[in-house]
Amino acid sequence: MADNFQNNKTMAPVMMDYDFKIKTQNERSKVEDLFDFEGCKVGRGTYGHVYKARRKDGSDTKDYALKQIEGTGLSMSACREIALLRELKHSNVINLIRVFLSHTDRKVWLLFDYAEHDLWHIIKFHRAAKANKKSVMVPKGMVKSLLYQILDGIHYLHSNWVLHRDLKPANILVMGEGPERGRVKIADMGFARLFNAPLKPLADLDPVVVTFWYRAPELLLGARHYTKAIDIWAIGCIFAELLTSEPIFHCRQEDIKTSNPYHHDQLDRIFNVMGFPQEKDWEDIRKMPEHATLVKDFKRSNYQNCSLSKYMDRHKIKPDSKAFSLLQRLLLMDPNRRITSEQAMQDPYFTEDPLPTQDVFAGCPIPYPKREFLTDDDQEDKSESKARQNQQQQQNPNTQQNQVQANSHDHGANNAKRMRMPGPNQGQSNQGNGQQEFHQQQQMMFGAQQQGANSQQQANFQQRF
Amino acid sequence: MAGNFWQSSHHQQWILDKQDLVRDRQHDLNILTEEEYQKIFNFFASIIQVLGEQLKLRQQVIATATVYFKRFYARNSLKCIDPLLLSPTCVFLASKVEEFGVISNSRLITTCQTVIKNKFSYAYGQQEFPYRTNHILECEFYLLENLDCCLIVYQPYRPLLLFVQDIGPDEQLLTYAWRIVNDSLRTDVSLLFPPYQIAIGAMHIACVMLGKENLKPWLAELNVDMDKIQEIVRSIINLYEMWKSYDEKKEIQGLLGKMPKPKPAPQR
Ligand SMILES: Nc1ncnc2c1ncn2[C@@H]1O[C@H](COP(=O)(O)OP(=O)(O)O)[C@@H](O)[C@H]1O
Ligand SMILES: [Mg+2]
Repeated sequence: MADNFQNNKTMAPVMMDYDFKIKTQNERSKVEDLFDFEGCKVGRGTYGHVYKARRKDGSDTKDYALKQIEGTGLSMSACREIALLRELKHSNVINLIRVFLSHTDRKVWLLFDYAEHDLWHIIKFHRAAKANKKSVMVPKGMVKSLLYQILDGIHYLHSNWVLHRDLKPANILVMGEGPERGRVKIADMGFARLFNAPLKPLADLDPVVVTFWYRAPELLLGARHYTKAIDIWAIGCIFAELLTSEPIFHCRQEDIKTSNPYHHDQLDRIFNVMGFPQEKDWEDIRKMPEHATLVKDFKRSNYQNCSLSKYMDRHKIKPDSKAFSLLQRLLLMDPNRRITSEQAMQDPYFTEDPLPTQDVFAGCPIPYPKREFLTDDDQEDKSESKARQNQQQQQNPNTQQNQVQANSHDHGANNAKRMRMPGPNQGQSNQGNGQQEFHQQQQMMFGAQQQGANSQQQANFQQRF
Repeated sequence: MAGNFWQSSHHQQWILDKQDLVRDRQHDLNILTEEEYQKIFNFFASIIQVLGEQLKLRQQVIATATVYFKRFYARNSLKCIDPLLLSPTCVFLASKVEEFGVISNSRLITTCQTVIKNKFSYAYGQQEFPYRTNHILECEFYLLENLDCCLIVYQPYRPLLLFVQDIGPDEQLLTYAWRIVNDSLRTDVSLLFPPYQIAIGAMHIACVMLGKENLKPWLAELNVDMDKIQEIVRSIINLYEMWKSYDEKKEIQGLLGKMPKPKPAPQR
């Protein structure tokens, strides 16, 4: 019996039925057959390349984002991103429409709604304007609306026992013209994990997760477990950055890839802004794994004159404003005292005029440029970005180094490489054309009706996934 | 995603209809009797279990791998992919999703080889585990496609813990019910019923085994469809009945021989 094995010990048995293989091959659609995206790369992160795409069959003229996951096959972070996004549905969390598996080159592609903006680009735009002493016209409540929607999305994730773990401006997208104009979409769930049943101390898995600038002090002091409070700290950092256009805990970083959670310079920067934590403010600080190192390395007296209110005051945010008082509650050093996303959403800041709006641009013209296409010259870009990562410190201590990794395309040194390339959507980068397009898009959308478009999309997902 | 079973892909796509399941299995059931079919699944569930234990995976991860395996064959004939290849592939994928940490390719293959040799020689004789990493990786893509990218699986363990907590601590009841949940992986209940119902079904059986009549009122108070619970109980009891008169070591070679197998590409 079992003759299938015993007859041919040396030959591998047939693993897959030929008819089954052919049938699935025929049913499987290829991403390049369905979408136009050649030359339309708009993002390059640590874990993938993102392209702006249109359907080839013209069944709709919407923009899509196609993320090609770095490397081949199903890495753990690809698995996590797919597993979680497949389940999550919230207006402030990016919607995964479909997954393409390309069997020949073993690439994994994720199809998303296209978000024209993200907070990294938005903040960068404001910084540049500030440097040139120009002002940017935005609705008064924009920062508030952004924060509210970020909190709403994170509250949804947290109440579904999902931690994001990599919140930073580059991962907070904002929708451009269209039915979801001005809507925040939390993206990049590659690091996210379920936290209801920790299988292993999380620190064992990815020693370095949250980008240092947005990293909570307890992580820098060696906390072994990620918590909701860690995401909240990052949101506090983003809020401050939105208010001031400066990364609040900006810090130079030589060794981004270190596996040691303790990071002296980053802690120093936090204390320089916040002051050194008092025993009574953070009782459990003594229990942190790196507490001894902290005591050895730092002197309280060096930070005597530092406080968040002084820092924010220097940036024209008054300590008696509602914005400041909410910021202070998000950026509490003691993770146990830091407020939850739910409490934050109840903060008086959000009931004070101007009220937050669904469209963060509140119907005003969007002052930010559309995403530019990056050159597709991978080889060159990769080696270049590596070289840049190595040199970045010496060259320009003020560069947003962390972002070099996350957004390697968009840095000073790389400016020459940026260019506008005609994609399948003509005239993308032209404001005037943009307006026209906006019109067309709107007509389209009203034709389809937002509600209908949504449920149609859902059906699409279910059917084609 | 603990609080959200009702919105999950598990609930919306993977609680199958009994009739559909029977219909989709028709091809295999023309060749195997229902009992033979179940015995074959039993066998591969054991392989998944032992592989998982050897790899030091938690029971939750092993259960998820087993459900992937069952979901794949709920839609496909046993001949589509050799279940001996699909079993470790399910373990591999589940371990990534449940974030145990990636199992290295070589460790997975080595474990398959030792497990097949040391624990399942009664089925495979001197035959070695025939697959390599590239087979598993190729198979993984097919698995993910057939799962429709639904990777988060809800298991009865968490509701079980909650229910037992609710009754008041009862180690013995928990231990029994937990094992019954493990056994339920060898039936179709994980394809047909939500995990909380399976947990209740397992508690039911455990109560009867332990003679704990006092739990009846608690169970009665739960607002659940008792017909469903009865169906679950019946499936699991049937499994126990089957086990009484079944000697896997004697029968499995014959069953594997009879099992529908993949056909190679036609020779040109
Ligand atoms: N849905 C989208 N629409 C438009 N641009 C996107 C979208 N998703 C990602 N991007 C762009 O691509 C970049 C990298 O994507 P992300 O998902 O963060 O991948 P990574 O894990 O590589 O950081 C983002 O910072 C953003 O600029
Ligand atoms: Mg990113």
